[in-house]
Amino acid sequence: MTAMAGPAATGIDGARFDPSRTEGRGLADTLRSFKVAVLLGWKLEANWTDPFLFFIYSVAKPLSSALILVVMLEVIGGPAGKAFRPFVIVGSALWAFVLNGVAGLAWSVLEDRERYRVLKYVYVSPADFLTVLVGRGVARIGVGLAGVVITLMVGVIALGVPFDIGRVDWPMLVAVSALGLASIIGLGLLMAGVCIQTRQESWSYPEAFAGALFLVTGAVFPLVVLPAPVQIVGLLTPLTWWIAGTRQALFPGGPGSVGGPGSAFASTFGHPDPSAGEIVLALLVTGTVVTLAAVAVFRLSDRRAKRTGLYDRTTGS
Amino acid sequence: MPALAIEVRGVRRVYSSKKAPIVALDGIDLEVPTGEFFGLLGPNGAGKTTLIKILTTLLSPSSGTASVFGFDVEKDTKKIRRIMNMVAGGEQSGYGILSVREQLWMFTQFYGLAGAEGWRRVDELIEAVGLAEQRLQRVSTLSTGQRQKMNLARGLLNDPWILFLDEPTLGLDVAAARSLRELIVEWRAAVPGRTILLTTHYMAEADELCERIAIVDHGRILAIGSPDELKRRVQRESIFRIELDRLEGGAQALGRLPGVVSATAAAGNEADTDRQSVVMNLVLEDDGALGRVVGDLADRGSHILGLRKSEPTLEDVFVELVGRGFDEAGTDEPGPSAEAIA
Ligand SMILES: Nc1ncnc2c1ncn2[C@@H]1O[C@H](COP(=O)(O)OP(=O)(O)OP(=O)(O)O)[C@@H](O)[C@H]1O
Ligand SMILES: [Mg+2]
Repeated sequence: MTAMAGPAATGIDGARFDPSRTEGRGLADTLRSFKVAVLLGWKLEANWTDPFLFFIYSVAKPLSSALILVVMLEVIGGPAGKAFRPFVIVGSALWAFVLNGVAGLAWSVLEDRERYRVLKYVYVSPADFLTVLVGRGVARIGVGLAGVVITLMVGVIALGVPFDIGRVDWPMLVAVSALGLASIIGLGLLMAGVCIQTRQESWSYPEAFAGALFLVTGAVFPLVVLPAPVQIVGLLTPLTWWIAGTRQALFPGGPGSVGGPGSAFASTFGHPDPSAGEIVLALLVTGTVVTLAAVAVFRLSDRRAKRTGLYDRTTGS
Repeated sequence: MPALAIEVRGVRRVYSSKKAPIVALDGIDLEVPTGEFFGLLGPNGAGKTTLIKILTTLLSPSSGTASVFGFDVEKDTKKIRRIMNMVAGGEQSGYGILSVREQLWMFTQFYGLAGAEGWRRVDELIEAVGLAEQRLQRVSTLSTGQRQKMNLARGLLNDPWILFLDEPTLGLDVAAARSLRELIVEWRAAVPGRTILLTTHYMAEADELCERIAIVDHGRILAIGSPDELKRRVQRESIFRIELDRLEGGAQALGRLPGVVSATAAAGNEADTDRQSVVMNLVLEDDGALGRVVGDLADRGSHILGLRKSEPTLEDVFVELVGRGFDEAGTDEPGPSAEAIA
């Protein structure tokens, strides 16, 4: 059978043992791996073959949690709670997204290693593992984005959230979205780095981590209700600024989550609420720090995994 | 192309564990020339997979150096990954939701093939390994044998200079295992210079495929050589199986001849009464003693109905070197039950 001869048929015979084959094509190879990883993530994560599942995970979940919060607000706060509806809707919608990004990226590692058992084959290929993971993260985020948009739309239509498309601060929305997504991928990588090291059943770690972040980032209630040290943790988290920025861009003038009288932000910076520029700047700084730290942690974890032999470990082996 | 495909110098690998550290490799030195079909044989836990993991850049050695085509496994990992590939058996690997074609194409992209070139390569290999009918089928619906063929196709996508096969036929039925072996042989024969390192627990597989074999146990290489060389090591005498129409004086008479170490009736011979023949196992000091035996038999009026030299098998070699057969491999430390019996 000639096919076994390999690429001879495609005209690169003689170059078969060409030493230049050990050299890659640099950026072109990276882009290629990245593209196919996004494609793979899209196929694996989107449940496209099952629109029902997609709806449950990406729309129904955030929507129902938003509804629960809206009802609670109504019960506890009375008519005054109404002003907080946009606040809650944006927070819930974005949160589903955070789960998709942060937990999702880490789950990719666990899934590839333990469910699909392909991690070692991806790893022995020349593709950069970090690039592949980020690609899959981007796909997850794409899927999550669809959920965010649908949740927001439903919130606006069904819950009468006052939304004026003419008042949206587009430049700010674009800036905080781009920076926010990068930060989510950074946090996801951080979790992935941790998950590479785990030996036992660790599917719940990423979700627990994301859950902890949920409390300190002002997703569903303003930071000011938390003790000051916890508020500081929130202020150091890029997600806090991303959520605040998105709220501000979509619903300018609505209640904020970061500052307020007596908040840690107010006592640190001397004015009660951050301006749009301050939000973007804070997001840029915290996001960069988190992303750089994540890459470093991931690389270290990668090296340690090779030293300790964790790449084809599976649960219970 | 470098003369050596694999060069391993003093490689040790120690795994840390809660109890005592586990020494998986205890000072391995190995050279595999380019183009060789090389086998690693050894009982469970001998360290075969560990050595493959080190050579495929999945694992770092604790000490010592290893290189593949002159590239150091620690420093030149990317280079090695471009010209090497690995296929392991006994596992179900693959993204179940993708089709066979999609799954393979994805890997061509990791190996830097252009999109269309990748599809062409995938289709060629799908054809070559005999998965044409399943090409659009979801990976999750493949049988174990089909999955392993897909896994082999994946391992050939980058046209590797060297292919590492870790028990590739594990869990396959006889026919599937044979067809996989044929594919491997065919692939290697298609281009001179292609190198294979195989681990297996099937003696016959190693004997059939490998030009040279290393027998490993407890992380050390106990013996290395061609299957014939290894067999010769355990065979210090010549052993023949001889069938006669009759034998006057019985086995003792033959045993007294010069150069004959022993002559015994072959097991099961007594029952074979209707054939009216005598089957003997003859152990001679060397092949040269056979002439005298034949002459003596003719003098006694015996006719030789059959004569066959018995060859030791790789399993004999294995048992002699490792000190235990494959059945009891891994139970070198007597467990509590064994102590209770003793
Ligand atoms: N990740 C690990 N952590 C701790 N010990 C390990 C690890 N991997 C392997 N070992 C141990 O190292 C030794 C060698 O294992 P290895 O898998 O290399 O053996 P093998 O020759 O491939 O065996 P088998 O024929 O069963 O596949 C064994 O004692 C095994 O328990
Ligand atoms: Mg093994």
